[in-house]
Formats: sequence, C-alpha cells, structure tokens
Amino acid sequence: MVLKIFFPQCCNRAESGLLVGRWISGHDSAVVLAVIHYPFIPGQVKQYIQQMQAQSGVELTVLGSWSLPKEGQESMESFLRDLSTIFPQQRWLQVSRQMGKMGFICEVVNRNQTALAPPILLTKKQNEEEEEKVIFVHYEQRKVMLSQLHPTESGDPDPNTEPSSELKQVFQTVARSQPLFFLDRYDDGPLKSTHWQSEGREASIIVELLKQASVPLCMLISWLLALWTWISVSSVSCRIFSLYPLRFLSSKLSTCVQISYRTEHMRTLSSPKPAAGHKQFMRKGNILVSFLVDVGLGILLMSWLYRDDHIATLANMLMPAADHVAKELEELLQWLMGAPAGLKMNRALDQVLGRFFLYHIHLWISYIHLMSPFIEGILWYGGLSVCLGLTFALSLLSDMVALLTFHIYCFYVYGARLYCLKIYGLSSLWRLFRGKKWNVLRQRVDSCSYDVDQLFIGTLLFTILLFLLPTTALYYLVFTLLRLVVVLFQGILHLSVDFINSFPLFAMGLRIFRPYRLAEGVKFQVLCDEPGTALHLLMEINPLKCSTVVQTYRTPTYSCYPRDSWAALVKKLFVGELIYPWRHKSTKAD
Amino acid sequence: MEDEAFTDISGKPISLDCQSHSSFCREFIISSPKVSMGKVMVYTCSVWLLAYAVFFFTQNTAVLSGAILVTLVGMMLHIHFVKVDHESLLVIGSLGIQVSSSYASGREITTFIEMSKIKDIVINEAIYMHQIIYYLCVLLKDPSEPDAVSSVVPLFQSSKPRLNCLVKVYKSCQEILSKCQ
Amino acid sequence: MGQRRKVAAGNNPSSQRNSGVSAEAARVHSRKHNICMVSDFFYPNMGGVESHIYQLSQCLIEKGHKVVIVTHAYGRRKGVRYLTNGLKVYYLPLQVMYNQSTATTCFHSLPLMRCVFVRERITVVHAHSSFSAMAHDALFHAKTMGLNTVFTDHSLFGFADLSSVLTNKLLTVSLCDTNHIVCVSYTSKENTVLRAALDPEIVSVIPNAVDPTDFTPDPSQRQDDRITIVVISRLVYRKGIDLLGGIIPELCLKHPYLHFLIGGEGPKRIVLEEVREKYQLHDRVRLLGALEHKDVRGVLVQGHIFLNTSLTEAFCMAIVEGASCGLQVVSTRVGGIPEVLPEDLITLCEPTVRSLCAGLEAVIALQRSGNVPSPASIHARVRNLYTWRNVAERTEKVYDRVVGEQVLPLDRRLRRLRAHCGPVAGSIFAFVAVLDFLFLLLLQWLVPDGVMDLAVNATGPQQQWRQEKSNKNDCFVEDASRSF
Repeated sequence: MVLKIFFPQCCNRAESGLLVGRWISGHDSAVVLAVIHYPFIPGQVKQYIQQMQAQSGVELTVLGSWSLPKEGQESMESFLRDLSTIFPQQRWLQVSRQMGKMGFICEVVNRNQTALAPPILLTKKQNEEEEEKVIFVHYEQRKVMLSQLHPTESGDPDPNTEPSSELKQVFQTVARSQPLFFLDRYDDGPLKSTHWQSEGREASIIVELLKQASVPLCMLISWLLALWTWISVSSVSCRIFSLYPLRFLSSKLSTCVQISYRTEHMRTLSSPKPAAGHKQFMRKGNILVSFLVDVGLGILLMSWLYRDDHIATLANMLMPAADHVAKELEELLQWLMGAPAGLKMNRALDQVLGRFFLYHIHLWISYIHLMSPFIEGILWYGGLSVCLGLTFALSLLSDMVALLTFHIYCFYVYGARLYCLKIYGLSSLWRLFRGKKWNVLRQRVDSCSYDVDQLFIGTLLFTILLFLLPTTALYYLVFTLLRLVVVLFQGILHLSVDFINSFPLFAMGLRIFRPYRLAEGVKFQVLCDEPGTALHLLMEINPLKCSTVVQTYRTPTYSCYPRDSWAALVKKLFVGELIYPWRHKSTKAD
Repeated sequence: MEDEAFTDISGKPISLDCQSHSSFCREFIISSPKVSMGKVMVYTCSVWLLAYAVFFFTQNTAVLSGAILVTLVGMMLHIHFVKVDHESLLVIGSLGIQVSSSYASGREITTFIEMSKIKDIVINEAIYMHQIIYYLCVLLKDPSEPDAVSSVVPLFQSSKPRLNCLVKVYKSCQEILSKCQ
Repeated sequence: MGQRRKVAAGNNPSSQRNSGVSAEAARVHSRKHNICMVSDFFYPNMGGVESHIYQLSQCLIEKGHKVVIVTHAYGRRKGVRYLTNGLKVYYLPLQVMYNQSTATTCFHSLPLMRCVFVRERITVVHAHSSFSAMAHDALFHAKTMGLNTVFTDHSLFGFADLSSVLTNKLLTVSLCDTNHIVCVSYTSKENTVLRAALDPEIVSVIPNAVDPTDFTPDPSQRQDDRITIVVISRLVYRKGIDLLGGIIPELCLKHPYLHFLIGGEGPKRIVLEEVREKYQLHDRVRLLGALEHKDVRGVLVQGHIFLNTSLTEAFCMAIVEGASCGLQVVSTRVGGIPEVLPEDLITLCEPTVRSLCAGLEAVIALQRSGNVPSPASIHARVRNLYTWRNVAERTEKVYDRVVGEQVLPLDRRLRRLRAHCGPVAGSIFAFVAVLDFLFLLLLQWLVPDGVMDLAVNATGPQQQWRQEKSNKNDCFVEDASRSF
C-alpha cells in the first residue's frame, strides 16, 4: 500500500518539531495539521492535544516528527527515534527535509514490528522497501478549512458518521480542527506551533458587532411578521364565508402570491437560531442578498416613477390604449363577420357569434370609462408598493394586464368551449360511423351495433356539426392567438419575478470572489520528482462550475414552470381545452 | 517511448507522451496538432469574400465590419471552447485518477476521481457519429452496490486516439492499478 | 431461447470447448467465413426471424466461422453488445419507421454499415426477411463494396394489391444481383422466384428448425376433465385472429368441456376480448398476453390440441413446437404449412371458420375417444425432423458456393439492373447505385479503410481475443482476481 501524507503548505519551512494530525482509518493516509516546536514538555503536549480533541471532536494524535536542520545543527537521528517511545503510536513518521533540496524524506516506523525485532535494523530495511511508497500531498490549510466539498450530503449531516470518501474526510478533518488554529504565533504559552493563522483580527470585531446588532433586528422583524400573520389569519377566519371570492381571487393574483412568498422568506431570515449546516446557511444568504437587491432595484424604479410625475403620464396613456385595443378588436370582429380571408362562412352562425362578441366589447368599454377617474389614484397608491421590491412592481403589472385584457380572456373561453363541444361531438359521432363506441368502464373503444334510427340521427348531426365547424374554428383560432399574446407577456413577467426570487446571488458572489469556498473537487499537480525522495503533489481546489452553483443553490420557489410540454400544449389547443399561463404548485390541488 | 506514430480516428497525427513520475504515478498526455494556418485562412477568406459579395450588392459597409467581428469572435470562441490542445491523464496509485483537457486558449478543465469510486479502466466500443470506435473509459462504482457500474467516464474525448495508442495507455494504467490494490 | 442457451453455455464451458476443438479439426478442409447477419428483427424483439438468426449464428460459430449481427437500436439498447460465445451484435442508431422496420433512404446507413464491414473484415453479408428495410440497404451497400451477398426470405407475399406490387418491385431490384437466396420452404421458394423474377438455380430451400430439447412433452400438466386448445401467435391480422374469434363461440357452445389458452399480444387482442365478454367465456378462454420464449413450453404442455389459424405463412415454427410438445396440431392449409409436418401428425383445414370448426371437432372426438398417439411418440417423431445443426451445415454450403462466385462490377451491375427490372425502375435504381458508389468513394476519401481499427475478434468458444491483442479480456480476468 501507498502511504499518503496530507501536508499543509504553511508548515513547509517550519522549525523542527512534532507533527500533530490525524490518521484516516481505512485509507492509509495521514493529515498533518500543525507542527509543535521544540522545546516542549511531553506531558503538556499530551494535555494540549486532549484538550483540542475535546473541543473539535477530531481524533488528534501525534503523528511523528518533523526535522528541518539549520546550518550548523547536528542531525538528531537518535533523539527523533526516542521520541516515538514517548508518544506510543501504531506508526511513527519521521519526516525530514534537507536544506537546498526540495523533497522531503520520510521514514515509517511500525511499532508492532519494532517491538518484536531490534528497531534500528528493521527501520533500515523498511526504508529501502517503502521509500518510494509515500506520497506527500501539499494543501493550503486556509482554503481547505473554509471550502465546502460538493456534492454535499442531503439531509442534515451527522457529525458522528464518517463519510466514505477519503477527500471528504480530509476536508472535514481540517474544517473541524479549527480550535487548533487559534493558538497564536505570538502567544506566550508553553507550546509554540506552526499552522495557518488568520492575519487580521480587527475586521472580525465589526463582524462581531454586526452579529450582536442582528439579534434585536431579527426580533423586531419576527414580531412584525407575527402581527401581520395574526391580522391575515383572523380576517380570514372570522369572515371566511363572506369573503370566499376574495380568497379565491387572492390565490389568482400574482401580487398576493408574491406577498405570501416574501413573508415566508422573512420568516426564514428572522429565525433567531443560527443556520444549521452549510445548506441552510447558503439558503439564508441567498434569500437575504436577493431580497436586498430586489428592494434596491424597487427603490430605484420608484424614484424614477415619482420624480417627474411619470405616474400621471402613465395613467393618461392607459385609457386611450384600452380604447385603442377595443377599437381594433371591433374591427377584427367586423372583418370576421364578413368573409375573412375570402372564406365563406355559415352566415347565420357567423352573425350570431359576431354580435355576441361585439356586445361584450361594448360592455367592457363602458366599464372602463366608468373606472377612468379613479385610475390615477389607484396607480399612485399601488405604485407605493414598489418600495417593497422590483418583484412587487412586476407582479402588479402582470395583474393589471390580466385585468385590462379580461375581455380577451372571455372571448377565448367562449370560443374554446364552443369549439371543444364540437370536436367532442364530432369524435363520438365518427365512432358511431365506424360501428364503434367508447366504453367508459374499460376506457377503450368497443365495437357496437347501432339501429338504423340511431345511425340516421347520428349522420345528420355529424353533417351539421362538420359544416358548422369552420366558422367556430375560425373564431376560436383568432381569439386563441390573441390570448396567446397576453399569456406570453404575462409568462415573461412571471419568469422574471421567479428569476429574481430564486437566483442564488450569494452563492454566485462566493463563487466569483472566493472560488475556493465552493469546491467541486480537487486537482493535483506533480511538484517535483527528484529521484530518491518521495512523490510530491500539490492539491488545489477545483471550484464549482457556475451552472452547478445555480442548480444547487436555487431557492425553491412556488415553481412557476409551464404546465405542459410543447406537444401537450399544441394538443390542448387543437382539442380546445383551456390553457392558463402558469399554474402555481400550491394551487394545483384545487 | 514516443517513437511510434499514432493517429486519431480520422487519420490525423497525434503524439502520446508518457511521463513516469514514480513507480505508481504516471501521466499520459495526448496532444493534437495545432490549428493549421491554412484552415484559418480558408475560413476567414470565405467569410470575408461572402461579406464582400453582400457589400457589393447592398452597398452597406456595416456588413464588412460585421464580417470582421464575426471572424474575430468566432476564432476566439473556437480557441476557447472547441479546440483542445492536449488532454492528459494522471494516474496516481491508491489516490485516484485525474483527467484534464486544456484548450488552445489555456483554459483547463480538470476532474479528479478518487480511487474508492473507481471500479476499473477498460477499452470499450461505441458508435460515434458515423463511425464505430474504440475508446478508453473509467468505470465508476455504484456506492450502494459495489459490484455494479453506475456510470462511465470516457477519456481522451476530443483527441480520440486509435486502438494501438489506447492499448498502450491501458496496459500501463492496469499495471499501476493492479500494483496498488 | 437465447437466455436458456446462455445459461447452458455458462454452465459447461468445457463441452463448448470440446466441440470447438472438433470443429477446428473439421475446418481444415472447409473455408472459414466472416459472416455479417443483417436484419431489423433481432432480440429483444421476439419472433421467428429473431430466433432463426440467433440459433443459426450460434451454430455457425460452433463450426468456427466468425459471425456478427447488425440490427437497429431498440430503445436504450444501442451500441455494441456481446451474446453467448462472443456473438457480437451491433445495434445501430437508425430511425425506426413502422413495425420495427427502419426508414430507408438508400444512403444514410452506408457509413455505419461500411464501418462494420471493414472493421470486422466481412466476406459474406447475409440479410434476413424481406420486410426489413435495413436488410435491403445492407445488400445494396454490400454489393457496392464488392462483398458477396446472401438473402433469406422468411415470408410469403401476395401479387394482387398495390402494396405487394410495390414491395415485389423492390424485392426484384434488391435480389436481381444478389449471389444467393435462401427460402424456408418450397412454397416460399416458388413465391419468391415468381415475385422477384429470379433464376431458380440460385434459390435454395433450407427450412427453419426448433430446439427439440426445449420442447419436450409433459402429459402430467394436462387437466383430464377438459380439453384445452392452445393458440400461441402474435395477435395480428396475418395470423387469422378474426377466424379464431369466429371459432371460439361456436365450439364453446357445442362442447362445454372445451377450454382455450391463448398466448400472445397484438392489436387484434380486442377482438378476442369482445368475444369473451359477449359470450361470457371468461372462465374458459384465458388470454395470457405476451409470452417470453422460455415460458412457451410451459403453456404448450397444458394443452391437448394446438391450433394455428394463419392466413399466410412461409414455414410455421409454431406447429413444429406444438407437435414437439406432443400436441395434436390443427392448422390452416396455407403457404408452406403442408410441407412442414408429416400428414398423420397434422389436421389441415381451409382458412374458413366452418372448415376449421369441422377439423377441430374431428380432432376433439378423437381425443375424447383416446384414439390418439401418445405425446412421447409424437415428440420422438418430430425430434429429428428439424435441427439447427442441419440448418447450419446447409447454410455453410451456400456460403462456400457464394464465396467462389464473382461480385458484379459496377458496369455489369448497372446493365443487369436495367435488363432485369424494367426500363423505369431499372434506370432509377441504376442511378441510385451510381450515387451510392460515389458516396462510398467520398467516405473512403474522408476516412480511409486503413485508418479504421480492425475489431478484436471475440467470436468463438475458444475466445480468440485472448490470443490477439488482449485488452478486454485482461480486465475481466483482473476483475475476477480482485473480487476474490
């Protein structure tokens, strides 16, 4: 077997001393965490290690000795060997480095065998055998300590179970032995050690202050939230029956959905408990950053809206626009009632349908005109909600579009229902033609013998339906196209809201500015291969791909995905079933 | 070791470079030929000639500048995302296998597979475009059942060497793998 | 059958090896061929053609030839697979159009086919089934590449309707310069010769076979208080399922002890279900659905009478299987069926409901009176009628003959096409042949033959890839050693 020693880069030039670290069982590898320098008192070292072990939960041990002879210093062969008897271990590493040479030399002393045979002889022999069989893997302690190796375990990570993969164990060991690194170089303790040390303490004071300040802020937010939920719940509970339509409406309005969604976010953020685990922490960070960005964008938009009285301009533009759309629709209907594109329609049905729709437009326009004096006010007060975030503005826009194009929706529904009925009738009569029928119980087409009367009536109906189909189909086609335009627009709005809500900005920032924090894996580089020394590898952290970052850390939303695939959508359109822009998962049940 | 001349599956010459860092650590680098000047010239000229033809009929100079931009951006994208300069396979006994491919622009993509996940390295046959080729791949273990193969990582995906080259790499990989078991 | 054989081969490699050695001794005076079987129909699809190809390939491998099979991809099964004895199967990713047959444009399959032919050093291309577009494509390309070709026709065809006229024209084109044609029965040969306007000299008859060890009788499985009629076929129009739908109520009304056991799946299943519901026969007519080949024997031995209602059939394997299991066989007198079994083992009827009912009633009466030969005696007679070894030997002779023949060069091929297939179709296909040739030249320029890696030979019981460049086998051996 090949012995792997993970060696921190910061200890490369450390003075001679003891190697403190951990053996990883089952993988035949050792992780060196720190070097404790001479002189020391063995008892104190043991005590210190025990203390650290209790604090970090890592099985720390003394792995062996490290020697970097300075000029004019004697080599301490015998002394080093004696050390192994002080710290009884299964295996004792003697790592040494000579000045002017890049490579380390490593000797492994096996305790079991030394107990049986004269020690010196055996080590020599082992030397010759195993000299090649050691790999030094140099790692940067700070990066490895801070990075999170992906894929992370699903569910809460149990600190007691060891992950199977060797690299994960290494990463976990380094991350958990953080207490070991608090021992400062300039501390005046009994022990001196070399390991990674944080450079600045001053910045951390600000962090501490922020942490202190965040607690009352969280309390405040959660109190406000409680108040808000109490109001909404009580209002729903006491007047649930009278206000049923309101509740139904609120589930359809995207602004209301956005409000409930944000409430949920704030509740997550304001929980006073610190985040448990990496996933939870990242989630909180993402929510906070995206919330801040959202609000910032919203305030920018608001400042633009209210500065030059843009609101009034908008409101004044809205009425003519609605009028214009209505007029265009009327023209379209007039065209359809004639001979559209040179098609000859069933005149009677054509006229009936056309008049019906014209009347509908007339009704709609009169309602809009009734509303016109209030529109500016509504816009002005509605616009205030933009300070809650850009997403609110977009949701509001989507709702307004939905309300202002209500007539198109109505036309579409009428057309689709009519068309659907015809298609349904035609398909069942076609089955009658072929002497078949739909068996409801078995969900299949059975053969069946019909009477002459049934066949006669069926044929008659079939003919009528078939000849009236083009007229209905044309109306259906035109209104479906109109509806699709609206749906497309609303879909884009929803998609952008969803994007702002769920995009993991925090994780993305970490990936860009601190690439080592989110590690996909590692990569190795062969450092030097001088003959006679062990193989030296440099372990670097391979940052996560940006696409993977987005995939892993997307905040789960009320996922507004298109409900159907494209083929299913086309099929639905053809059969005449109603289509909706986006359906929220929560409302799927009803 | 590099005396034998290797080609890839479409007959272009490639070179195999085996570096033995130690008895259980070997690196194989397969380098493809560089971008040929003639090819670049042909593409550039054809785009420019086309643009000039359009310009001749429309008298719109934006077409010309557009063509220059297209060739420049196209070349950059090609160098950065398509053209692989060399691919390397680093086998470290008992630690794992590292696969990396570096593009002509210097971009490098590296993946490291731990030894505990690796089941074996084999040569397999596959249908690729309109050919049937041999390729080298790493079989990964299924963590739940150690005997099953959960997925396959193909090696040397862009240089696609021929069988004789694969066999050479395969044999020396197997040597290391069997030594470190 | 495939699975069974696989198990058997896995259990006793020693016997395989022995037979391999003996085959080697025999090979000294006969030539060794590299054969490529091409058809759209192969496992995991089930049917007569599929098992024919598989069994024939296994027997040819046993005789020391090298065999590879080329078919189209089935679902996720694409690429290269190995079956028992290193039988290599290429599942090429070609688009399936209708009824598991690939779409053909005459050209798009050439690159992959050429790759297979070159890397496996194929000498004989053997295409199966006239329904398979891929088989015709392969014949066409093989002739362009100058390889010898053999074609096996597994089915009969009419002459009257439009689709048959078209198919027959295509068959004429495809077969006019094929070296040799194999038919499964004399009726089939007659049919093919007429349809494709062939010289009868180059058409041989080699029947299908069954593995008699797979179909042994077991009278203890029968229930004595009733008479069970077994039908095993795909439930499609060609198999006469509408006839079956007419027979069932008539006989069930007359004979209350009669039961039907129907295995198979297909679009006509609904006919049988309706009959069953209409006449309340749920307890007497059992529909088993799709059967795996290994389960067929278990169904067959439960019955007394085997019924086959096919409307057209070149060579009916099902009735041989039924007879091999010791059942009384009743069948329609169509196609090559009268040739298959000796007259006293089969009752032949016209393909009408009345005639079939009369025939069945006669057999039922015999069965009731106990005046029938015992299953074991029927099995003993059928056992040696059709064996795969025999089929392989005869096919081998065809290969030996074909290899000696000359493949027509392009100019003579064009002349043959125009002389043989009429001025219009002949000219069109001559043009297509020229295009195919040019396409081949283009491919040879793009990827020369020398650049393609020759495939490692894995065929044969003695596993030749161990002696050649041993790459894959190495890793298997290592796998084994590691797991110990």
